[in-house]
Amino acid sequence: MDTVLQLILNALHTSSLYALVALGLTLVLGVLDIADFAQGALYMAGAYVAFYATSAFGLSFFLALPLAMLVAGLLGVANYVAVYRPLRRFSGATTFIAALGLLLILQNLALLAFGADFRLVRNPFPGVRIALAGATITGYQAFLAGAMVALVGLVWLFLKRTPVGKALRAVSQNRGGALVVGLDPFRVEVAAFALAGALAGAAGTLASAVNAFDPHVAATVVIKAFAIVIFGGMGSVPGAIVGAVVVGLAENLTGGLVSTQYAELTAFVLMVVVLLVRPRGLFGAQEAKL
Amino acid sequence: MSAATRSLSRGVRASWPWRLAALALGLGVAVAAPHVFTGIAAQHLLVMVAINVILVVSLDLLVGGAGLISLGHAAFMGVGAYTSALLVKGGAAYPTGLLAAIGAAALAGLVVGVPALRLRGHYFSVVTFIVGIIATILMTNLVDLTRGPMGLPGIPFVTLRLFGWEHTFRSVVFKTGFYYLALAFALLALLLRWRLGRSRFGRSLAAIKGDENLAESVGVPTYRVKLTAFVLAAGVAGLAGSLYAHYTAFISPDTFTFIHSFDLFVMNLVGGAGTFLGPVVGPAFLTLLGNALRDLSPALSQVIYGALLILVIVALPDGLVGGARRLLRSLGRARA
Repeated sequence: MDTVLQLILNALHTSSLYALVALGLTLVLGVLDIADFAQGALYMAGAYVAFYATSAFGLSFFLALPLAMLVAGLLGVANYVAVYRPLRRFSGATTFIAALGLLLILQNLALLAFGADFRLVRNPFPGVRIALAGATITGYQAFLAGAMVALVGLVWLFLKRTPVGKALRAVSQNRGGALVVGLDPFRVEVAAFALAGALAGAAGTLASAVNAFDPHVAATVVIKAFAIVIFGGMGSVPGAIVGAVVVGLAENLTGGLVSTQYAELTAFVLMVVVLLVRPRGLFGAQEAKL
Repeated sequence: MSAATRSLSRGVRASWPWRLAALALGLGVAVAAPHVFTGIAAQHLLVMVAINVILVVSLDLLVGGAGLISLGHAAFMGVGAYTSALLVKGGAAYPTGLLAAIGAAALAGLVVGVPALRLRGHYFSVVTFIVGIIATILMTNLVDLTRGPMGLPGIPFVTLRLFGWEHTFRSVVFKTGFYYLALAFALLALLLRWRLGRSRFGRSLAAIKGDENLAESVGVPTYRVKLTAFVLAAGVAGLAGSLYAHYTAFISPDTFTFIHSFDLFVMNLVGGAGTFLGPVVGPAFLTLLGNALRDLSPALSQVIYGALLILVIVALPDGLVGGARRLLRSLGRARA
């Protein structure tokens, strides 16, 4: 029982990281219908910003986090302006290919600039452990889960309360109608990319103190996060979060009780099962088609 | 097609004697190539072009034929490669291994196609992309079967027996013979693709590409037609995988990753999806370009590759062949 509880607690930080990346992916998917795999590179950028800010410039981890979010958000907007916006007139498949091309470019630029050495950011809560009913979590795991809840809460408020957030939801529900009532699509799209980029950057920073990373992390993270988005329902915010929690749990339980080799597969297996049973995903509004 | 549009398209296309002459010229070049380029490195490139043509032609049945952007094609190549390598290593004759490779890859195509084809548009592409990754994880982790990341060495060369005549293609050193074998399969794949394109099945695919809902409403069983095409394409990819395995005598999961699936798709796109020559021009162009970029660092060549890809999407959406065709057409119009 204690092992199961420990595995569930360990899932906290896996799920939190997945939730942030999946949330950004699903926002862009909902607003622009772009499978923006380049967000993996923004996650990677966040991790490298955190690494260099804390090691080379001696910045505190808690200042590196907003800095990384800013950098990743700007990069996301740059991707949109330079690549996705000119490609508007093409089909979704074309933008997906462009996204993969962009991921390839950014990941390999990082390899050229930073090399293939594994990096790890110093844990900002060294040695802190919290006992919980026979199992323990580290202070950093607790911080990570808290940061995820805070960020998701902020995104939620932004979408529900601010004019730009409302516009974003309107465009994602009915693009034609939103344009008819005079919403500026450019502003909404920039907001979606900035927000998604900041979330990916935050996830990268938060992960950088627990998971050693190199530039290849860009592809691995985004692929799994996208499987979560399909599982939860494409374009659905609650779907992304519930999907991340389910996949994080399933992964840790498979890893602890069955075999770590196959833990990597759980997200994908869940995705395939959902496609067979309910192609729209757990929370998807409609069957995903063009 | 009405008589008017038919005559219009005939007026724009080259007349058949020209096409026949072009075809003969292309065949001549393909047959003469290994005698012009006798170096082992150059001949290796020729073999790789031939194998990639088989893969891209099969992928084009989906991409160019039905507008299905499948991004997991290397996985089926891998299934074919492992099936054939393991069987022939275990003592089976090569033709048995080849047929089993086609069968196993087609079966894998069925298993993937049934759930993936329930999605349309780029959601289908994303799922095939992810399936390609699952395949790599499986090939890496099923160590008892595939030896995992260490790879499978010592795969026997292709040996063919026919009425007492026997030939083994020792392709690691002697490449010319194997090149002709691969070329024969590439021509067969091209012929099959061309015939399918003009059949009722090919027209159903074209209807799906044009407008899937419309195709459905005029009675095309869209799901079944798409699934058939997907299984067929996977089977042919399995054939290419078998050729590759017995050509290099060594396979590992690294060859069949999503990167290679992506490469194949890009070859199709750069050559020109849905054109007859595109699936030949694309692999030839990009295999040679990849070789030319090899002296640079791998990371830098990937950056150039990615940038080139985005450029092609924007500037030449119908690829080199489509672009050349448009150029010829506008020249013809200027003359008239």
